[in-house]
Amino acid sequence: MKHLTLIALLNWTLAFSQQSDLETKTSFEAAYRSIATEIDAATSQEQLDSLQGSIDALEARYAEHRAFLDRALHPETFTEKIEKLRALHGLTSERVYLIQSQGITISEYEARLASLTQRLDSLTSDRDWLFAELRESKKSLADLRQKMRTLSKSLEARDRLLFALTDSIFLPYDKNLTQTTEIQKEAVVRKLLKSNVVARVYDIASDNVKFLEVTQVQPSDYASMFEQQQQFKSKWMGLREKMNAVALASSSPMEEAPSGSMKSAGKGGSKPRKGADSAATLEPVGHVDAVIDEWEKKLRTSFWKGLEQEFSSKHVSLQPFQDGQSFAMSVFEYVDSAKTGGRDVFVFVNDIWKDRIDKHWRPALEKDFILGKQNFATLDKAISELDEKKFDMKFILYILAAAVIGLGGWWFFTQRKRPPKIQQA
Amino acid sequence: MIKASRDIFLLLIRSTPAFFISCASLTLENVNFGWPVESALTVSEKNTIDDVRYGLTCNVASLAVEEFQDTSALKGKILRVLRNPQGYYFVTGAGFNYVYVFGPGEGTLSLHKSISMGNTEKDEPVRLADPALNQRPPNVELLDGKLRHLLSPDGIIENEDGGSK
Repeated sequence: MKHLTLIALLNWTLAFSQQSDLETKTSFEAAYRSIATEIDAATSQEQLDSLQGSIDALEARYAEHRAFLDRALHPETFTEKIEKLRALHGLTSERVYLIQSQGITISEYEARLASLTQRLDSLTSDRDWLFAELRESKKSLADLRQKMRTLSKSLEARDRLLFALTDSIFLPYDKNLTQTTEIQKEAVVRKLLKSNVVARVYDIASDNVKFLEVTQVQPSDYASMFEQQQQFKSKWMGLREKMNAVALASSSPMEEAPSGSMKSAGKGGSKPRKGADSAATLEPVGHVDAVIDEWEKKLRTSFWKGLEQEFSSKHVSLQPFQDGQSFAMSVFEYVDSAKTGGRDVFVFVNDIWKDRIDKHWRPALEKDFILGKQNFATLDKAISELDEKKFDMKFILYILAAAVIGLGGWWFFTQRKRPPKIQQA
Repeated sequence: MIKASRDIFLLLIRSTPAFFISCASLTLENVNFGWPVESALTVSEKNTIDDVRYGLTCNVASLAVEEFQDTSALKGKILRVLRNPQGYYFVTGAGFNYVYVFGPGEGTLSLHKSISMGNTEKDEPVRLADPALNQRPPNVELLDGKLRHLLSPDGIIENEDGGSK
């Protein structure tokens, strides 16, 4: 319809432009701007095909005024203007093709995401039910643990899928987001809104927080959980940067919303929100930052608490710790006091450090943002030396005891077997 | 003596053209001052017009007095200005009886001719409704609805019927 209006406008202006040069110039410029705006806003190949006709019509209608327009449009010429319009048309065609082809991928991702969301909802129900059962001691711990593992895997899968979805939205523009046009950036915003991306990120982070609240995490699981959390956070930061870039460009800042305003994309959340296409604003991201921070905090708290329990459950008392540095200080302090006080460290070294920490907690502790490989190796070495020292002392004690027993036995047997001395007269 | 006088005389004769050439002002020829298209300029509250593209700024209060006998009559109105190839400025606007032709001076535009759009013989004044000026070298075309005149700095050359005045 817009094209018909444009053609009508061209006809009308042409009638007048046969008389006034200024009107010829201004009507050409108006028609040019109108076509350029429509090209920039085009979202389908059909629209672009129609606009190609409009460019041809514009060129044909003003061709007789070419000499005049070449001077009047200074510093550009009539030919340059038409070429510029055709170049814009070509670029937009390329962009529309990319967006349309990506749109198919997005719809595939959407379907998979919806399916996984449904499965997650089902697993979440299972989780609640299992947790209740555990409290009533009706199910075995192993069974519950298996279910939890499934739930955890599902969360990870959803996380991966979500970022695959956002990557596919940004894919056509990834090379240089700053050079994309206003319309292209608005298209990204529309797709982000349609895919409900921010709400989904929020939900995943929130589910992970809930998961930590209701689950007794096994020591060996922490490493992968930390890894997942860090990757999620880093991906979110990257996505946030891109979203800020498009939001700034499309004059739709992602302002902070009042507390509790974040809408969940959970059940039914995979559907786009009503009016999302018309609304040129993105959802607030502050809540996502908060929930990701909460996830990290809870994970770390759970980790250090679990580690502390390894010591306290075996009646080894360490100074309280809440991070890698304080943990290392507590252990060194314990080792020093054991060395000076001659404390029995068998349980500490063998039962706790070797059997539990080294076997189950080591992968997580070796993460750079927890303790780090080098720091763990230093601790391990200090504890091994403590063990060697105690072992040497015991060994000497055993040798001494054996020697005493041996000497005693020798004295006893030699005394008994000695024949009585015969006195010679 | 006579020979010396004759030599001096010949020298004077030969150096005369060089003397006159060095005293004459430098002139560049075949200059085209014409603007490709007229400028539609809105008169400001200070009674000035400002054409950014061609660098023309002037006060039009005296023009308002000349045409409407009111210094503020042109405020907010649009003036049509076009410079022809010879360098004359053609100025008119809606409600005008005349097209004013100005020649440039030192910091001034001096009226060269005011061309009446009415029939002077029958004393019928015609007010222009929505005029437009087109560059039609060496002349300027005035359009106003069905009205069409071809103008030179000195007057109407050809009217809408193709006749000359």
